Amino acid sequence: MALSKEEAVEKARKDLAKRLKISEDSISTKGVEDTEFPDTALGAGGRDEMSGQMLTSGWRIRLEADGKGYEYRANKHQLRLYNFKGSNYQVSTSEIEQ
Amino acid sequence: MNRNNFVTHLALAMVIILIAAFAGQLRKWQKEWRSSIRIVPVESKNPQLSWDLDTALTRPELLVRFRPGVSADIKAEIAARFNDRIEDKIGSVPGLVAIDDLDDLDAEISAATYRALPEVDYAEPNYEVSLDHAGGGFKHRHPDDPRFAQQWGLANDGSNGGKEGADINAMRAWATSTGSETVIVAVLDSGVDYTHEDLRNNIWVRPAELGPYEDNELGIIDDVNGYNAIDNSGDPMDDNGHGTHCAGIIGAEGGNNIGVAGVNWKVQIMPLKFMNAGGFGTTKDAIEAINYVIKRKRDGVNVRVISASWGSTMRSRALEDVIRSAQEAGILFVAASGNASVNTDRRPHFPAGYKLDNVISVAALTSNDELASFSNYGPKTVHVAAPGVGILSTWLGQDYEEKSGTSMATPFVAGVAALVISNNPEISVSDLRSLLFQSVDPLPSLAGRIVTGGRINAARAVGAE
Repeated sequence: MALSKEEAVEKARKDLAKRLKISEDSISTKGVEDTEFPDTALGAGGRDEMSGQMLTSGWRIRLEADGKGYEYRANKHQLRLYNFKGSNYQVSTSEIEQ
Repeated sequence: MNRNNFVTHLALAMVIILIAAFAGQLRKWQKEWRSSIRIVPVESKNPQLSWDLDTALTRPELLVRFRPGVSADIKAEIAARFNDRIEDKIGSVPGLVAIDDLDDLDAEISAATYRALPEVDYAEPNYEVSLDHAGGGFKHRHPDDPRFAQQWGLANDGSNGGKEGADINAMRAWATSTGSETVIVAVLDSGVDYTHEDLRNNIWVRPAELGPYEDNELGIIDDVNGYNAIDNSGDPMDDNGHGTHCAGIIGAEGGNNIGVAGVNWKVQIMPLKFMNAGGFGTTKDAIEAINYVIKRKRDGVNVRVISASWGSTMRSRALEDVIRSAQEAGILFVAASGNASVNTDRRPHFPAGYKLDNVISVAALTSNDELASFSNYGPKTVHVAAPGVGILSTWLGQDYEEKSGTSMATPFVAGVAALVISNNPEISVSDLRSLLFQSVDPLPSLAGRIVTGGRINAARAVGAE
């Protein structure tokens, strides 16, 4: 199943709540924008990960918790947490991918 | 009419009929003999070449390139067998001769007859080619692919906001070579849709005499069309689109009146899959795929170029080592410089950033010959530039899409490398790399930003200008 924008936001909120060990209700969605990322890993590739160097359309999802901002990046194939404590993370890939 | 006159006329008529019948049989025998040896293994491997409207057929001649080792005597004997004559030898291209067909048979059919011979690398009709529209006396060839006008990277006429001549000068290059099915380019990517109508005739097929791929660790893999390093199978089907796009830039079949033309109208694309549907993969799988290519090269498969439109900022000694092994096996490695808009002299991107003598790092250009805003650069680490914005090529679902990135620039360079090899099969990796660097068009926008300061020029690389 391809991931929709709404599903991506929902999964991002769930993921952040789990990582921060807080309630989903305490996370606010500050914005979701259509954008173009620099590569097929949405500019958020992990260690030991190679990505196609092709501009790739997707969604930038901005969340906030306890006054701090977090950025998720997604498209129909994937959801990634960008620059979380200095690292990028791929989220729930096995559930998202076909 | 008396009896004697009747007998005389009857005898004369019978003689005339016998002569006519014998002449007809002779022609039939000749046709049958020719058709009996016209064995075309894959009919569609021989694209019908088309030309500008004003390029009338002037001489019923052929251009035939014999394989290395075929002696002059054998060439003459083959020509004589078809009642043809070798008229000229093209000194700059070993084995290439111009042949005069004394029977004035259809040039396309005669070319196909030659192509079926094991001694022949390629054969094509020798049509007159038109002068370049911009003057200067250079010859060029124009494919009949209906979307060719949208392929500004190959021929930029200045429309749609582009700049005339801001291209790789493909049409002039094609007057010298449109590629060869003897040259194999490995597309190391998300796989390739090998069923795409504009690619399927240019996809590598494991030769019948070569057994399935065997690896001590991976086992036996039935690699009919390439290799899938993700699931260790012989099915490198693309489920992302990225690899199919790159493959089309290198070698979408040209002159087939379908879709687009690749830098090479004919070539063999070896699909390799190490990136998944999302377009990302692991270093380990990339290494496995490169290892596959090296092993197949050692098995006698003529893989000369790996096109690598991917990367990351993480350095891997293991990946570097396997690319070095590819160099030792005689394989050029063309890689994307990356899309982070940074100077890679300071912030390296790999594998393009490995300082190996078989690696070429490629930046992306707009249709105005400007460095693309996203493209990495590096006066010491990025070597050449090629078109990389709004590039039309093959896509999943028998489709075509415009895409941007150094991913798209990379296969232009890999494609030109293959075109050079088609014209000079014995060229070494180091000579090929040097030739590609020396034949660029210097651009003000690239001065001091990349090593050569120029855009790749296919025509100059193949010696067409």
